[in-house]
Amino acid sequence: MRIKSIVARVLKARPLRVPNLFPRAEQPGDPRIFHFNAERQQVIADVVARVVDRHASSRAHVEYILNDAANSETRRLAGQKDDETAFELDRWRKLSRRIAKLSHAELTEELRKIVDHLASDIAGNFDTRVYRMTQHIVPGVLTGVMNPRALPRDLLQLQWTMLNQRLQAEGDIDKLKRLAQIGTLVLVPTHSSNLDSVALGYTLVREGLPPVVYGAGKNLFSNPVLSFFMHNLGAYRVDRRIRAQVYKDVLKTYSCLMLERGYHSLFFPGGTRSRSGMIERKVKLGLAGTAIEAFARNQVRGTPRPLFFVPVTINYALVLEAETLIADHLKGAGKARYIITDDESSQLDRMLAFTAKLRGLQSACVIRFADPIDPFCNPVDDNGQSLVPGGRTIDPGTYVRRGGVASVDAARDAGYTRELGEYLTAAYHRETVIMWTQLVAHLLYRYFVAETRGRDLFSRQRLRGEVEMPRQQLIEDIAHARNALLGLESEGRVRVDPSLRCETPAGLLETALDAWEGYHSTTVVERVGDRLRIEDPNLLLFYQNRLVPWAEELATDETMAAAREITALAGGV
Amino acid sequence: MTTDIAILGGGDFGWGLAAAATRTGKQVLLWSRRPQREATDSITVTTELERAALAELIIFAIPSIYVTEVAQQLATHIDGSHLLVHISRGIVGENLLSLTQVLRQQTPCRRIGALAGPVVAHALQQGKPSAAIIGSRFPEVQAAVRDALSSENFQVYATDDVLGVELASTVVGLLSLAIGYARHNGLHPSTLAMLVTRGLREASQLGVRLGARAETFHGLAGTGDLFAALAGDDRPELTVGARLAAGAATADAGTEAGTYIEGILGARWIASYLDRINCEMPVLRLMNEVFEGRMGGTEFFTRLMTLDVDGE
Repeated sequence: MRIKSIVARVLKARPLRVPNLFPRAEQPGDPRIFHFNAERQQVIADVVARVVDRHASSRAHVEYILNDAANSETRRLAGQKDDETAFELDRWRKLSRRIAKLSHAELTEELRKIVDHLASDIAGNFDTRVYRMTQHIVPGVLTGVMNPRALPRDLLQLQWTMLNQRLQAEGDIDKLKRLAQIGTLVLVPTHSSNLDSVALGYTLVREGLPPVVYGAGKNLFSNPVLSFFMHNLGAYRVDRRIRAQVYKDVLKTYSCLMLERGYHSLFFPGGTRSRSGMIERKVKLGLAGTAIEAFARNQVRGTPRPLFFVPVTINYALVLEAETLIADHLKGAGKARYIITDDESSQLDRMLAFTAKLRGLQSACVIRFADPIDPFCNPVDDNGQSLVPGGRTIDPGTYVRRGGVASVDAARDAGYTRELGEYLTAAYHRETVIMWTQLVAHLLYRYFVAETRGRDLFSRQRLRGEVEMPRQQLIEDIAHARNALLGLESEGRVRVDPSLRCETPAGLLETALDAWEGYHSTTVVERVGDRLRIEDPNLLLFYQNRLVPWAEELATDETMAAAREITALAGGV
Repeated sequence: MTTDIAILGGGDFGWGLAAAATRTGKQVLLWSRRPQREATDSITVTTELERAALAELIIFAIPSIYVTEVAQQLATHIDGSHLLVHISRGIVGENLLSLTQVLRQQTPCRRIGALAGPVVAHALQQGKPSAAIIGSRFPEVQAAVRDALSSENFQVYATDDVLGVELASTVVGLLSLAIGYARHNGLHPSTLAMLVTRGLREASQLGVRLGARAETFHGLAGTGDLFAALAGDDRPELTVGARLAAGAATADAGTEAGTYIEGILGARWIASYLDRINCEMPVLRLMNEVFEGRMGGTEFFTRLMTLDVDGE
């Protein structure tokens, strides 16, 4: 027990790396990340220099930053109360007592040490051997990472081919490949599952796109297997528990420097997984905003480097953590947990059921790459040139210039970041791929709402097994709603999953019912003769929420009232 | 000679802004399709739109209905470094697109803003003390407008709620028409107060729905501008409103025609948007009925006084 905890602690503090005695020679066209390790120390040094420089200008300010860090860390660590934190806690307390007595130079040195420690903790690693290995064993990783103590053999062998076919990539991949050679890609996907980064990471490998660096929650790194792979594939660690200002600054600076140096990156602009199942309607961007600063800094330095944002939607027929997410959503925003550590992705039986279920499905996950844009929301042509209205190309550097001179300006970039956030939410809607489970769930839920008019959300959600929908009516609804969806798709307002397009309405219904049945721990819908009994309104709500923006357009005159209620429930369109 | 600021539009507002800019020592380029006034030492007049690109700050001072067209023409000459500002009331189309949104769609520019508030052309022209508000997400735009226009006789406040500024300004335009209309009908001040207060209240609710902030409607772009209209400044909306009430044909050209069309279209688009989102807002709807000619003064005021009212 004791040894195990020591091992775990060492692994957490110092992720396992494999010594590289014969470093791979640099090849032309290699993604930058292949040679990250050679730059790692320099990146950390640059982060330290920039952060310290930003805060050390006056004694009062360094003192403030250190006090803030000491206070918030003391509070956090005191709450955590484990052996591991005792040492750290002691250090912060000591610092906190000394701060007032230190000179400006001494304070700056303290800050430098702290920033260096934080930056080293954040910085990732990249091992091309691990990268090549994952191309062959991702299926094992995908499942293994979730529970390293029990890696069943059948899981390791089988399911990759199967999953491979079920995982579809859409969009202009060739253009992305070209742009990856010209500039830096910043992938900004929707976020609904812990599988997102794995599914996306694998898709990049499979489609011949370069790997990306991304920040992963430190809680994921506590799993040694996952930690090993993530650490050796360029993921950097984000500890969302640390609230100190200086930590956020270090994180942003790290992200910015990596982008300045041309590392393709991945950010989830929504922040956390969508609890409700809805498409992100507001994005804060957070770290993704550093891409604009990185672009400006390269302009100022006179080494302009194109940067392309690529909105991505990740669309699942079944969401691994659906039950936990919707339960958390229904608890109300105030009580929702920001970091969920005990969801389905940490339970092996659920992972098994999930992968086993995928085998029978026509399409399980569609990853759609939307058209890339420059940092100022302009589309770009095949050569990465920014296109503006009228079809002209312009120099994107003009957006960070005044009087011909480029500058770094946080207030200006905050404006660009807001614009980008609005662009992304609109793009997510356009590029969302509606899956058949979502459509079936929506129509069942709409009926459920129609039959329970006047109830509030919570009393309605408690009605289990009390509403039955005639099967034939649902089939007719599916036929009608699918036509409406295809109409919307032809207007470029949404995308439709290929199997949703081709299958018969009755077939879609059966597939959806089967998919839920084998996977979710509760029964979603029970077949009762020629009727369907709604057993789990929560899961229906989760899956149908994806369709909220189009609810009224999918409705008929008879179902409009219920559709409006659904829209209102979700807080309007 | 350098060009510090370009102003598009040779109407009263264009010249008023040009005058304000010269008072801060700026060199102004004024573009007009058919210039009717002479250039001065610090105001160059041109009919070539591409010359506006020489200035970094470009202000649109033309009726909203022409903004799209001029923006399209200008778009081919400008890039991301230009700052665009407009001073028109009005929204465009079914989705209530604001003019900054139009400028953003039609041009490469992103650093965009809207100038509004209780400011009228001749006060600007003559340098009478007045104030305005610049709405922009970009502090650079706010600073540039202040630098170009604000002097001891012209205060320029700023906000980042650009949509709020534009919607408030648009609805105050409609309310100004209604004020002109109501005054011509001899409406009692109390009724007038109710009309404009409720109208602005609905506007702020609509604004919040579209992503603006309610407090912007209580600032210079909303309440402030409305006070000036009630006090009877020389804005064209009041004249056009009165003419509407008299049943006279509206001017077929010039500023008043622009104001008229701007008002009619704005009210129409707001009403159809309210229909679509299934929303009441009776005062805004009634104004549309009047502007469309579907409702006369008597009915308008009767309906106004018989609204089903509840809490404020």
